[in-house]
Amino acid sequence: MRRYGLIRCALPVLGRALGYGVPGYALMGYAMVGYAMMGYGGVTLAQPVDYGALEQLFGEPVTTSVTGEPQRVTDAPANIEIITQDDIRRSGATSIPEVLQFVTGLDVRRNGFASADVGIRGYNQTANPHLMVLVNGRQVYMPDYGRILWATIPVQLAEIRQIEVIKGPNSALYGFNAVDGVINIITYDPLNDHLNTATVAVGTENYLSGSAVGTGQIGKDAGVRLSLGGFQASDFPAGPLAPADAKARQSPFNGTFGADGRWQINPSVSAFAEASIGDTRLSEQSPPSLYDTETVVSTSVRAGVSADTPLGLISLSAYRSDASIDIGNISFTSVPVERDEYQTSYALQASDVVKLGTDHTLRFGLDYRDDALDSGPLALGTISDAIYSASLMWDWQIAPALSLTNAVRVDHLQLHYSGTLVPHTGVTVAQYDATTVTEPSFNSGVVWKVTDADTLRLTAARGVQLPTLLQYGLQIPPGVYGRAAYAGQPGLAPSVIWNAELDYDRALPAIASTLRTALFAQRIDDIIGLPFGATLTVVPPNHQVFFAQNVGYSTAAGLEIGIKGHSESGFRWNASYALATTTDHTTLNDGPSPTSIVEYAHSAPNHVVIGGIGYSRDRWELDVMGRWQSSYLDYRLNPTRTVLLAENVDNYVTMNARVGYRVTENVTVALTAQQFNAPALAETAGPPVQRQVILSLTGHL
Amino acid sequence: MSGRHAPSRWICNLLPVAAVMLALGQPAAAASLSAKEVQVLGRALAFLQPPPGGGSIAVVFAHDDAASRRDAEDIVALLGDGLRSGGSMLRPVLRDSQSLAAGGFSVLVAAQGASGEAILAASRANHALCVTGDLTAVQAGVCTMAIRSEPRVEVVINHAAAAAAGLEFVAAFRLMVREI
Repeated sequence: MRRYGLIRCALPVLGRALGYGVPGYALMGYAMVGYAMMGYGGVTLAQPVDYGALEQLFGEPVTTSVTGEPQRVTDAPANIEIITQDDIRRSGATSIPEVLQFVTGLDVRRNGFASADVGIRGYNQTANPHLMVLVNGRQVYMPDYGRILWATIPVQLAEIRQIEVIKGPNSALYGFNAVDGVINIITYDPLNDHLNTATVAVGTENYLSGSAVGTGQIGKDAGVRLSLGGFQASDFPAGPLAPADAKARQSPFNGTFGADGRWQINPSVSAFAEASIGDTRLSEQSPPSLYDTETVVSTSVRAGVSADTPLGLISLSAYRSDASIDIGNISFTSVPVERDEYQTSYALQASDVVKLGTDHTLRFGLDYRDDALDSGPLALGTISDAIYSASLMWDWQIAPALSLTNAVRVDHLQLHYSGTLVPHTGVTVAQYDATTVTEPSFNSGVVWKVTDADTLRLTAARGVQLPTLLQYGLQIPPGVYGRAAYAGQPGLAPSVIWNAELDYDRALPAIASTLRTALFAQRIDDIIGLPFGATLTVVPPNHQVFFAQNVGYSTAAGLEIGIKGHSESGFRWNASYALATTTDHTTLNDGPSPTSIVEYAHSAPNHVVIGGIGYSRDRWELDVMGRWQSSYLDYRLNPTRTVLLAENVDNYVTMNARVGYRVTENVTVALTAQQFNAPALAETAGPPVQRQVILSLTGHL
Repeated sequence: MSGRHAPSRWICNLLPVAAVMLALGQPAAAASLSAKEVQVLGRALAFLQPPPGGGSIAVVFAHDDAASRRDAEDIVALLGDGLRSGGSMLRPVLRDSQSLAAGGFSVLVAAQGASGEAILAASRANHALCVTGDLTAVQAGVCTMAIRSEPRVEVVINHAAAAAAGLEFVAAFRLMVREI
């Protein structure tokens, strides 16, 4: 917290400026700090890939997120969905989860205006730790609970080139925690993509937002992109929440500033750097099922260099991410208390992608990562890890229509704790410092283009999910949450995820569409449960402790079928159905009433249908999209916050519509109605999501 | 009976009409490179290391081959004012395969029937990128790059031919095309 004093005092951000009238000089100071740290983070793993030029050449999106080498999406050995900037704009979404809500196989549950949990294929929970999210290859996964605080991601929607959604484990590239899927947010390249745009929007729920993105050239060989944006709103009404939960929720706001820069030093070598800073307040459901309000100040810096050499495409990068989090209302008592935590992550990455002959591509990778969580209230000290990794990917083009990709990675973790452990749990600091985990992971995939129109993809993977830092190191003494202590355990085993998938894609030129189908099966061994809801352990002589524990295994299977297309006349359409069935074999929730939120078998809908239709003509764009999902179980605390309640969230339909009109070449006005079919929908056991109408004005230069 | 035969007569009457419509639907004497493939060529030039910064695009036809010449003329027409590369405009010129010794080009587009030793030699001597719509020419090593745009864009590069002409491509591009 001390390290953030200056930022908190001197650099209040746009969200507060919108709400509380921060003087202009404060914003200017913010921008200057960002400018001094300006940099670039435009490509995954810092590779010099000109997404725009390659996409134009091949007529389809390009990704580096699956194997680390640049690939056309249709060649990638994984089930990947690309959400383009056009898709984002036409969705009318104001946040990334709102965009993801209409992606086949994804489960998005909003438990607050600015808070959402996103899961993939049957696995979702509060503070879902199964999903890896990156911005240009930089992890924005929070190591405390392994969660994603979407509102804190320092990216404006307008500066996103594409969102890449990879379904299934991808630990062989990203390491620990890329288990149910990976979402990589790719922004525009400040050197090659020129973008100057600003948007203001107002809407119901007292919504007010603004964003600006600008790019500039410095000479012929360097480019900079700056972005600034924020919003404020009133959160959804508390609905069925316990009075203490309802009282804890405060209105959300957010402000972020980002700067990316890239310098083409010579035709073969480029350097990049990026920096971001953000201040966000959001009310959310926390892992113990309490509702609280978190205020998060996050910063990141990243720099690197890429070189096209005779030895291959060599990339080196380093980054640091920090998050200072103030948490309100963490208490089961009637007296709310404040908690804070400070997270720091460092990463060093080196990779070399080299083509050997004409048919073989290899990627070598070395990674080092260090995560630390410093929190007196939650850990009574600092829990940290150091992870060393080595990886190898081999892509073999066996025949023009047949490729085989194999990737392996070994991660080695060393745990460390400093502080004062909760006494009488039987766990010692020495045990923490002696804890190591060494785990291999792999991804294999065959892509067979059976004909010009038909593609088969068969993949298999072993992914590894580490216990989060609080599953390892939570330290809550007796008396805070009742008589028992709550403690992490250094001896937890990582979860191992096995996955197999068969995909079939078919181009349907007669109707300008593509059909995509997928069958998948997955098993998670050694599921890691939080101390909250765990089985009570009595440590002799009579100390009650709720430990984080490995609780069993889970299996899932499902299918997806979807069609997407567009016509020359300006129509576009998509429709999909996703089925995901999950079975748990755990020691949790065996009693008459639930104690844990980890209940995968029922905590995500089995059936989801998504559809959309749009039309563009002259100056007009009109889009309507809808999602129906079957019922599922969610959890919240009873009014006295003493008992966990399992609530059935009924099946529901949510529909959005957007109409955009280009007033002039440079100005567009748009009206979006989110959830226009219902004034309020219970999408979780928490606050009902409210209908929202948003009017926006966008200017382009 | 006549009633039972009516549908087949109706179909028979329509057949000539359908045949005419199908014939009209066929592209008349399509060039061996389509407009879309010319567009792909223009974009692919940016991935040469370094991109060609001068010279012309020689569209080469086989000597004494009228069909080849017509194809070359169609390609020249598709190229229009030329392709921009490395800050320069590469203008298309029509060249006989037997008059390549003079050089002056940085890209050779081989029209239908024009692939052969003369083009291979000219490509090597001038460090020029040879491009064709004929995959067999690239497979045979007499041209460097084949481009196909339907049903999806495919770029095939003969690695040995590129090396012999002293041509290098940006690594990201090499990783995404098919090399033989």
